[in-house]
Amino acid sequence: MRQSRSWIDRVVEGAARALAQRTSRRGALARLGAVLVGTAALPLLPVARAAAEDARPPVPDDATLEGAVGDPTSCAYWRHCAIDGFLCACCGGSQNACPPGTEMSPVTWIGTCRHPGDGRDYIISYNDCCGQSLCMRCRCTRTEGEKPVYFTSRNNDLLWCFGTKSRAVHCSVAIVLGVATRS
Amino acid sequence: MSGPPLDYTLACAGCHRADGAGTPGSIPPLAGSVARYLAVPGGREFLVRVPGVAQAPLDDAALAAVLNWMLARFDPGHVPAGFEPYDAAEVGRLRREPLTDVARLRRRLRRAFHRARFSP
Repeated sequence: MRQSRSWIDRVVEGAARALAQRTSRRGALARLGAVLVGTAALPLLPVARAAAEDARPPVPDDATLEGAVGDPTSCAYWRHCAIDGFLCACCGGSQNACPPGTEMSPVTWIGTCRHPGDGRDYIISYNDCCGQSLCMRCRCTRTEGEKPVYFTSRNNDLLWCFGTKSRAVHCSVAIVLGVATRS
Repeated sequence: MSGPPLDYTLACAGCHRADGAGTPGSIPPLAGSVARYLAVPGGREFLVRVPGVAQAPLDDAALAAVLNWMLARFDPGHVPAGFEPYDAAEVGRLRREPLTDVARLRRRLRRAFHRARFSP
């Protein structure tokens, strides 16, 4: 069993042991985890399962936007018109992907936001990323289209960690599911 | 996206998911099972009266269209021959008859269609 461990396990163990001799165990592990996960494991980031279920829709180019409406780390970012929570883009993830070590809730709340560049209404899925305590960075509360809590499917004060291993919410993503065209 | 797929996405997919898989144990799957209710007495009515459908923020005509679309999209294999699509009038009448014990009725209907499935 020991021989079959992957090289990454051996590297982690060796580095952790070395660090533990110099620093507090908790601090050493936290830093080591951040470095390893942040670099080597980038290609392994969890992908947006909810969005992957259908072919990816055309997503407008944020580079055409000036200022905060084009900045995924801002509450004013166009996709955040109905977000309530901590922005994953400030928490080690992005507007599309959960931070490493968290799991995207398959149950989500969905609304639309108007893109200020092309004026079209895009369907936005606000999935919570679950499994770690509150991120506490970039807290946003925007309520376009939100309903009172007795209308639970359209209320964003609720924690949306359903169907995940952990109910602890860390941050929220804002994934484009498509363009809404009212007929 | 427009019409029933858009209404489904905005009003239903957050819980039932884009592919109708649901979350077994908490959110009923639609894929591969939703149309089975049509085969048992009370099942056709049940599909409109369940809270998620009856209270959806859609008018009667849009709701009927979403129901018909869901059956064809997620469970075409179980739609009975000669199925009459829902229309706005039927949906409007049924959604105004709230269910007082959804889980109990759901268990009863599921027992009925399981019996039907395994009887010779």
